[in-house]
Amino acid sequence: MSQVEAVRTSPLGRLWMNRNLRFACLTLPGAIFILLFLVAPLMSIVVFSFWRTESYNLIAEWNLDNYRVLLSDPTYLTFLWRSTVMAVAVSLISLVYAYPVAYLIAKHGGRYRLILVLLTAAPFLTGIILRVTAIQHILGPIGLINMALTTFGMEPVEVLMYSNVASAIGLVYLWVPFMVLAIYLSLLNFNFELLEVAKVCGARPWQAFVAVTWPLNWMGTTIGIVLVFVPTLASSVTPRFLGGVDGALYGTILAHQFGATGTWALGSAMGVILFALSLIVILGIWRTVNLRRSGFTGEEA
Amino acid sequence: MTEAVLQLDDIVKSFGATKAVDRVSIDVGRDEFFSLLGPSGSGKTTLLRIIAGLETPDRGRVLINGEDVTRLPPYARRLGMVFQDFLLFPHRTVAENVAFPLKMQGVSPAVLKQQLEWALDLVHLTGLEERFPHQLSGGQKQRVALARGLVSRPSVLLLDEPLANLDRELRKEMEIEVRRFQIDLGIPFIYVTHNQEEALTMSDRMAVMNRGVLEQVGPKLELYERPRTGFVAAFVGSANRLHGEIRGIDGAVARIDWGGNELLGATPSGAGVGDRVDYFIKSERIAIVPAEGAGNAEGHTRLAARLRDVIFKGQYADYIVTLPSGSELVVSGPPALDGLTPRSDVVLHWPAEAADVFAAEAP
Amino acid sequence: MAAVNPGERILIVGQSVMLLLLYIFLYFPIFYVVYLSFMENNVWPFPPEFTLDHYALLESMSDFHEGLINSTLIGLGTGALSALFACLAVVGLLKYRSRFRAALIVLYMSPLFVAHILIGISTLMFNRGVLDMPGNIPSTILANTTYGVAFAFLVILAQLLRYDWRLDEAAMVFGARPARTFWEVTLPNTWPALLGAFLVSFILAFNNLDISFYNLGAIPTLPTIAWGTLRHGVKPELYALASIVNALVFLILITLYFLLRTGLVKLGHRD
Repeated sequence: MSQVEAVRTSPLGRLWMNRNLRFACLTLPGAIFILLFLVAPLMSIVVFSFWRTESYNLIAEWNLDNYRVLLSDPTYLTFLWRSTVMAVAVSLISLVYAYPVAYLIAKHGGRYRLILVLLTAAPFLTGIILRVTAIQHILGPIGLINMALTTFGMEPVEVLMYSNVASAIGLVYLWVPFMVLAIYLSLLNFNFELLEVAKVCGARPWQAFVAVTWPLNWMGTTIGIVLVFVPTLASSVTPRFLGGVDGALYGTILAHQFGATGTWALGSAMGVILFALSLIVILGIWRTVNLRRSGFTGEEA
Repeated sequence: MTEAVLQLDDIVKSFGATKAVDRVSIDVGRDEFFSLLGPSGSGKTTLLRIIAGLETPDRGRVLINGEDVTRLPPYARRLGMVFQDFLLFPHRTVAENVAFPLKMQGVSPAVLKQQLEWALDLVHLTGLEERFPHQLSGGQKQRVALARGLVSRPSVLLLDEPLANLDRELRKEMEIEVRRFQIDLGIPFIYVTHNQEEALTMSDRMAVMNRGVLEQVGPKLELYERPRTGFVAAFVGSANRLHGEIRGIDGAVARIDWGGNELLGATPSGAGVGDRVDYFIKSERIAIVPAEGAGNAEGHTRLAARLRDVIFKGQYADYIVTLPSGSELVVSGPPALDGLTPRSDVVLHWPAEAADVFAAEAP
Repeated sequence: MAAVNPGERILIVGQSVMLLLLYIFLYFPIFYVVYLSFMENNVWPFPPEFTLDHYALLESMSDFHEGLINSTLIGLGTGALSALFACLAVVGLLKYRSRFRAALIVLYMSPLFVAHILIGISTLMFNRGVLDMPGNIPSTILANTTYGVAFAFLVILAQLLRYDWRLDEAAMVFGARPARTFWEVTLPNTWPALLGAFLVSFILAFNNLDISFYNLGAIPTLPTIAWGTLRHGVKPELYALASIVNALVFLILITLYFLLRTGLVKLGHRD
């Protein structure tokens, strides 16, 4: 009597029993999708950046004009510089603010942890335009703050309207939830009892933080920094509506190339530079993450 | 032994550079309670998973009732299994959990109902059908897991340390119950455990594994009384483990020097004077008498010692003795032997055949 | 946990104040906008003069309905695709050993580190120039899915890490083939994660500007309508739009929260 069930012994059936094949069928669809619709387009703009635009069409004439313009014309460089400074500033501000907040939720949140952290993340989902609108209506010249001040007979605050400060505030407003989330997730896996150990060894709270908490959570911190830095560097909408006349950033100019002027080739080159800069920052930060020293054991999930 | 239901033929399985199972061959017959005994990392769980089909061996074959199932996936093998953490489906009731194997096999509703009732009745869980796993106690979960493993009347039941998560009282109870099921149902149980007492209580035959290698397989008494390797001697039963050097050989008996004491034991094959040996003497094979009036038995190892402590275990007691050299031995015997009080002088003796001697393994 | 000493107590108080301020910072503008949407006077709405005119105006905007439908379609498409790809990938990555695991995880998370605008312009030019696809809803769905799948991946991964995969092994020993195992055992125990991933991707695509804008051009979505209105100076209909979208997102998030709660408490997970 056959004890075992008649399993498909057709070639296809036997193929399916192969573990490697099952793994591939599960993980490859999405991977191919990303390769096709993210990686390939990104590579294509590298190609396009070497072409020309003529009357709103891309002409496949290979040249370095775009890059020459971008790298020599001081205007573009200024914008790039401004964006970089803005991104660094916003990242730092977000970091400084997000860390204590994430720390509190992770360590003392108890059973409210989930809801507390979701509450910080939720505004992110309401969409960029609406958030910028909201900030604009609070900071702008006829915004809440200034109107309140004038109503009570005080001077409106210049620096808050249509300035880089306003842009910075807006950008922090947009992206700080990411920083909180990244640091929070890292702290979740952090063994807070290690701080007790440090204290017993004679470390004062600040020293314990610098020597234990910070390094062990460095990887999560870097993820947060990158998650804030990259979008801020590329931001176009926020500076346009909050930055005022002098507040245009690199991203705004980049967006221009795909709008009125229709200079796609130049825009591609700008995009390439933006991407390259982001990549450099990511790789630079990645190199500071020494996996073994950050407490990551490397165990597979 | 009746015809083999399960045959493992030269199974080899490696994970990366480590050999988890190293050339293991075992036969299990129809009416056997068979235990796979070994410390953690010995490969016993891997072997069980290979039988179940959850792992594929690198070499070797698995045969069930004569059919080669080595390459068959687990869902084609029609086995029953009881897992260490029970692994009951948390989103299903007790009845649905137990009926799961039948549902997967597509039996008719009438047959399903009948088998389900039989299984639940077998483990005394009738009345708890609609409960969910998180509403059950450890012992109840255990019985659901058992019922689920047995409900489809598999040709073999695999058990992976199923009693490990139960408290001691419950475990003792379940050991007897599980044994009873096996006898009543007449199907082979393959039972993996690291607890040698458990294995000795429940099994007919046992296999001891160590680092992937099968040290010895046979009826349990044989492993207990006549261990074939030092590892089995150390692992099965509680033995005193001593190291010594052969000083002289008188035919089949070797005189072994142990820290200044002389031990007598059967000469290991191929051993000569000067060889180092591992010497095992089971604690219940040592006779302990007060020093005064102790005789001098011919052919016995005889050691003078001082009784340090008596640990009362109910039906027997462990006597902890200290020798002049500082070493300690454990002797098991009836509790409250005359004249044996802590700090009294005693004499230990045992015949040469009572000890198990093996050539020492490299340190 | 060890007892809290006075020094730490001050720290906790300080951090709590920061957290509170953060919530105010994040939520006040949102609530203010909702308040404004009901106010006659948008510049200095005190004392409050209640009106629904802005909502009526919004309703009558020609693009509004079309934008709403388009945004919903984009959201649904992106949510479904993202959740599907991410679910398959996470199951594959957690169940099977492979030396490509690390690389695949990096790949799936990489969209998070690419700015939206880059995704928008690159997919625009790639679709137009290479694939010869017109800018329409399906191509926008595809572009948004690249970003959504990364988020879906994280949401599903976070939940499935806590799932006891040995349950799947048990099911297989008892006769369930892989697909049946997923349906009978894995899915019932993990569906909150999948739905959560769907909802998150939906919201992100629904509200997305930069990716959708470049791919759609003239076809309206709610964000592009908002963008257009904003460009011409802030109009009160915008506040009504914002409030509606916020309400929708809020509803979805509450659903998400309760999903996660029941996922943690009731259904199976490894302690």
